[in-house]
Amino acid sequence: MDNLVYTYNNNFINLLTLIDELINKNIKPYNIKSNGYNPNLLEEIVNLNLFDNSNVINKIKRLNSDLLKVMYYVYLSNDDNKELIIYYLFLNSYKYKEKLLNMRNLNCVSASLKISNYVSREAHKYKGFVRFKELNNGVLYAEIEPTNNILSIISKHFKNRLSNFYWIIKDNKREIISIYDKKNYYIIDSKRLLIDLEIDNNDYEDLWCTFYETIGIKERKNDKCRMNFMPKKYWKYIIEVSDNIEKSS
Amino acid sequence: MNLKEKLIILSDSAKYDASCSSSGSTRKNNNGIGNAAYSGICHSFASDGRCISLLKILMTNCCIFDCKYCINRKSNNIKRAIFTPEEICDITINFYKRNYIEGLFLSSGIIKSPDYTMELMIKTISMLRNKYHFNGYIHAKAIPGASDILIKRLGSLVDRLSANIELPTDSGLKLLAPNKTTDKVTRIMSYVKENKSKKFVPAGQSTQMIIGATKETDLDIMNRSSNMYQNYNLKRVFYSAYVPVNKDKLLPALNTPPLKRENRLYQADWLLRYYGFKVSDILDENNPNFNLLIDPKADYALRHLNEFPKEINTATYLDLLKVPGIGVTSAKRIVSSRKYFKITFKDLKKMGIVLKRAKYFITCNNEYFIDKSLFKKEFIEKNLVLEDYYKKETKHNQLSLFNG
Repeated sequence: MDNLVYTYNNNFINLLTLIDELINKNIKPYNIKSNGYNPNLLEEIVNLNLFDNSNVINKIKRLNSDLLKVMYYVYLSNDDNKELIIYYLFLNSYKYKEKLLNMRNLNCVSASLKISNYVSREAHKYKGFVRFKELNNGVLYAEIEPTNNILSIISKHFKNRLSNFYWIIKDNKREIISIYDKKNYYIIDSKRLLIDLEIDNNDYEDLWCTFYETIGIKERKNDKCRMNFMPKKYWKYIIEVSDNIEKSS
Repeated sequence: MNLKEKLIILSDSAKYDASCSSSGSTRKNNNGIGNAAYSGICHSFASDGRCISLLKILMTNCCIFDCKYCINRKSNNIKRAIFTPEEICDITINFYKRNYIEGLFLSSGIIKSPDYTMELMIKTISMLRNKYHFNGYIHAKAIPGASDILIKRLGSLVDRLSANIELPTDSGLKLLAPNKTTDKVTRIMSYVKENKSKKFVPAGQSTQMIIGATKETDLDIMNRSSNMYQNYNLKRVFYSAYVPVNKDKLLPALNTPPLKRENRLYQADWLLRYYGFKVSDILDENNPNFNLLIDPKADYALRHLNEFPKEINTATYLDLLKVPGIGVTSAKRIVSSRKYFKITFKDLKKMGIVLKRAKYFITCNNEYFIDKSLFKKEFIEKNLVLEDYYKKETKHNQLSLFNG
């Protein structure tokens, strides 16, 4: 029957374990979704209850690292077909081996490179657009609402950059937080965050907004150009421009 | 004067420097605060659409020089201020940890003497690096006329060190900046070039010239840039459309800065650095200025139509780069993919290669995208200009070259 939706327990390794199992059994899935997926009337959910990841972990170690990164970034995306795309990448990796990513005429390759570039671009933008506030206890705290699930990518970046600070980044869209304890960061459900978020009032936000106002050259004013680089969807937490939203709406 | 007032004065006087990049350094976080990102990171975009990655400020806007185009010239009656080293460190660290900035861009007016000014800058940046353990990106402006030993000390603290050539010709500089001479600027550039290492100016040097304040042709400007890239290994030459901040009989009376011209210069600059073009491919004595209707690469293609169309499956990498609409990423993608399969127009689309402009100048397996009898200069030119016109109406992306 071509209506079976295979489900996996919401993480990357479990997805690859399921895909590996499907390939071994020669099953071409109609779709693959994470647990909690709501099937439509014609779809039927199948859960294979796979618990042993050891086989797939050994296979991953032999995969081309660029390919693995592309698969992971596709997994982090919000693309509706991401699981199927990863399935076809995995399947084709047996045939094309390390050449696979050069086969841009294959749909699964062109689609996955496009998606992983998009994820990587968004993560790069957030490396610049995250705005921390300092809490009373000295912890740095930021909120984001990215289209793709880029929290793990930017966490790695801030772990290196702000290694001597405690920091928390909250993804409001997915209700998850990344919390860093000066050694490692942990990505957990945001409901588990119990500390008080009292924001310290200091002058630096005001100084920064002042700098932002001053640094633009009036004779060169160009809103469209600014909007190209910094679309409105990012503005909510970018303190130096968020005032402008209120003014214009 | 409080800190906020100082910040307003000293960022306002620094804003005309076009350089924004924070790229080229791999400085690591050595148990302090911050690191550099090799590709650079933009943290915000100002109301003029330019990227903000560094806290761009002057140490002081007091200046003993009287350069005609400069807002900080001695003879201007404006508010003057000076930051203390502690103030600069405090703002930098507090902006940085909140992720507002990628680092510091420190320039200065010349107070007392070039050496005295450089020593103040060194004191500040040394404090930032050694007392505050700041490992983020720092771009400092070297002061022309400062002694080598100070350039050496400053260069060993920063990621990028640069000196502005200010104007495209020596005569222009003599006219408008009588206290500066070209050789004082190029002396710094030579010193940086010869001593560049992992520990001295690791991200290299850049420079800037003001466009439209003096009467140079675009050919003069491009020759100067080409010369700078060759002789001093510059990472970037920035072009800054002249904004009339002062009234002076030696300065042109402009209502708006020449932004289109600035855009063409950046496009041509890219062609020199990444696309294997020479200045003589783009401009010559008979055509000393850019065509404002069409970009320099398309202009070249239209003037050399006999070299086109290029066959996607066989053209060399450098030939692919000559095709309007095909950039470095696309050309590399084509070269790496065609080893594995014959590329068709459909594949190009799948590969994410934009055909809007390129389609007029290429064939895939000897097929042209429409009837080959239309491969004529008039037809292509008309379509390209119309497209540009349409693009201009829908979006202003003229500053996209500022990134990186």
